[in-house]
Amino acid sequence: MVNIKELKASIGETQILKGLNLEIKPGEVHAIMGPNGSGKSTLASVLAGREDYDVTGGSVDFESRDLLEMDATERARSGLFLAFQYPVEIPGVSNINFMRAAVNGKREHEGLDPIKGKDFLNLVKEKASLVELDGRLRNRSVNEGFSGGEKKRNEIFQMAMLEPRFAVLDETDSGLDIDALRIVANGVNAMRSPDRSFLVITHYQRLLDYIVPDFVHVLVDGKIVLSGDKDLALKLEEKGYDWIKEDVIA
Amino acid sequence: MTGTAEPIVMDLQRKPNIHPATQAKGEALLAALADLRTGTGLATEYLKELPVPHRRVERWKHTPVSGFWTTYEAPKVQTIQAAGCEACPVPGLHAYRIVFVNGMFDAEASDLPVHSGVRCEPVSMIASAPAEAGNLEKSDWFAALNQSHATEGMKLHVDKGVVLDRPLLVHHHTHGQKSANFLRHEIQVESNAQVQLIHWSTSNEAASGMVNIMMQLDVASGATVALDKVQDEAGQVHHLAFEQINQAQASQVRVHTGTIQGKWVRNDLNFRLDGEGCDAVLNGFFLPKDNEFVDNHTTVDHCAAHCTSSEQYQGILYGSSSGVFNGKVFVRPHAQQTNAYQQNGNILVTDKATINAKPELEIYADDVKCSHGCTIGQFDEEALFYARSRGIGESEAKAMLVHAFIGDVLDGFAVQEVRMEVEHRLATKHGWDTWNDTLESA
Ligand SMILES: Nc1ncnc2c1ncn2[C@@H]1O[C@H](COP(=O)(O)OP(=O)(O)OP(=O)(O)O)[C@@H](O)[C@H]1O
Ligand SMILES: [Mg+2]
Repeated sequence: MVNIKELKASIGETQILKGLNLEIKPGEVHAIMGPNGSGKSTLASVLAGREDYDVTGGSVDFESRDLLEMDATERARSGLFLAFQYPVEIPGVSNINFMRAAVNGKREHEGLDPIKGKDFLNLVKEKASLVELDGRLRNRSVNEGFSGGEKKRNEIFQMAMLEPRFAVLDETDSGLDIDALRIVANGVNAMRSPDRSFLVITHYQRLLDYIVPDFVHVLVDGKIVLSGDKDLALKLEEKGYDWIKEDVIA
Repeated sequence: MTGTAEPIVMDLQRKPNIHPATQAKGEALLAALADLRTGTGLATEYLKELPVPHRRVERWKHTPVSGFWTTYEAPKVQTIQAAGCEACPVPGLHAYRIVFVNGMFDAEASDLPVHSGVRCEPVSMIASAPAEAGNLEKSDWFAALNQSHATEGMKLHVDKGVVLDRPLLVHHHTHGQKSANFLRHEIQVESNAQVQLIHWSTSNEAASGMVNIMMQLDVASGATVALDKVQDEAGQVHHLAFEQINQAQASQVRVHTGTIQGKWVRNDLNFRLDGEGCDAVLNGFFLPKDNEFVDNHTTVDHCAAHCTSSEQYQGILYGSSSGVFNGKVFVRPHAQQTNAYQQNGNILVTDKATINAKPELEIYADDVKCSHGCTIGQFDEEALFYARSRGIGESEAKAMLVHAFIGDVLDGFAVQEVRMEVEHRLATKHGWDTWNDTLESA
């Protein structure tokens, strides 16, 4: 599904990703953990096509296509989704119009006609119930005045609407209360399928109790330094990152 | 016309500020116009004294007028039918209508109000002395040009307490090349009366020349007037619009100016709040493209206490277009407890687009609340990326942000049908239709 090889990326003069390797097969859920500033969000942004970053080396293969050749819109339409660590507020654009443009963008890419108003609203209803997104939030401006938790729920709602092939969730659990965490995790689990993959970035093992990963990777200083199964997350929770820096890297 | 205090606008102009070469252009224009119609009245004297606008006349600093120095011809078309244009530019609008084509009244296309307490006639059909010059005509060369050359326009009188049952649409259409159109509308709304006006300007693709429209609006105490102004002129027309609005005690006036298209547009909107407890609202948006030019000069003159004024202008400039916003707010010494708000936001879509924006607040009273803000920026890159990451194309994402940027102002048209038609025309011009229609929540 996704094959990242020796990926190097920098912003301005600063190199942040320093040769990152990761292969994700269809249906797999991978978790990435790592200290603040290690490059997790940078990886997510580079995958989503943010132009602020310069890719200085390596390759990303997405369903046998060169992901790095596509612009952000095309990546999304081809089935990549990024749930932002900090979702963006767009005053004056209603959530629902925003989503319809997104859904129609994808449909256009697939050679389909724009979705009918009624079908769209039914889809919204169905997907919003998946993450228990309050009906009022759908009609408000995109993320404007949403609480931290509501923003994260909205990200998952958008993901459910767009039904991506590969979703990157960047700290979707931070800022969620215990109930919301369960709701969001259930939403993600409901979408797990043999032909859909996830990359879950998190700081807390707790999320992985709900969304059980196939693999856990540790990202330190722009590289994946250690990979394991879900038990690795437990070990990290208990021991922190220092032992990795000392034992593994040294 | 009432008022005791001398308007400050005039003081600026009183210094002789003649630029000989430009003055000669102005005189040449007068000579060219003389073949079509001769200027009359006192204003011809003002024309001799006033400086023809050039770069060092403060209110024309960023407003190039060279497009006016050309030749003009008598119009060939005098009716909306001959012009092949709709008499009512707003489909489904149930309104009274007064239609002018190339500066002439089109009786056939008009549907004048038949309503007790309302008199509405074209100026050419009434034998009365022409209106006195207002302050603008004494201070501005192009306004004086209007007064000396306008022989047509609408005269509207609404009696005390009358509520006009439908909006009144004033439609001006320019058809053909090199026309010189002057209109002068005089409107008096007596106390506690209520009226909704729509002022719509159109022109055909081949049109050129000038349109110079003056509106004098006197609003007596407790009266309410809404004016929705829409400018959608194709071709090469140069459009000058002057409004002088005088408000008496506790009157309410809102003017909403939307410039959809126009090669060259100058709006000169002036409010004078003469009685206590007035409320003035002035909103506008402009979205010039290519090398269009749009200028909004506004003045709100707070002459009495306890008045509020609220102003919001939003501009989005595409291509190599340019714009001017100048918002003057005067608060006179007696105008205590004034509440004046002004906001002007601009987005430059390309690096070739330009805007000259200047808020000017002069406050001579001490117990007032005045705020203003002015922004000039690009598109919000974060929001753009967020939209693109959802599979929304870049140009559509931009259209979405544009719509959001002017949304508040768009919503503020007094007449719902006008808002919808404006939105439709903007959508056509900017390719918004794909996402724009709102959904009912299920
Ligand atoms: N736009 C930028 N300009 C300059 N430096 C940046 C920029 N974006 C990221 N960085 C730097 O790159 C490094 C990696 O940042 P990144 O956001 O990828 O970390 P992260 O692993 O997601 O951290 P966190 O766990 O705190 O979210 C940090 O040192 C950060 O300061
Ligand atoms: Mg991060």
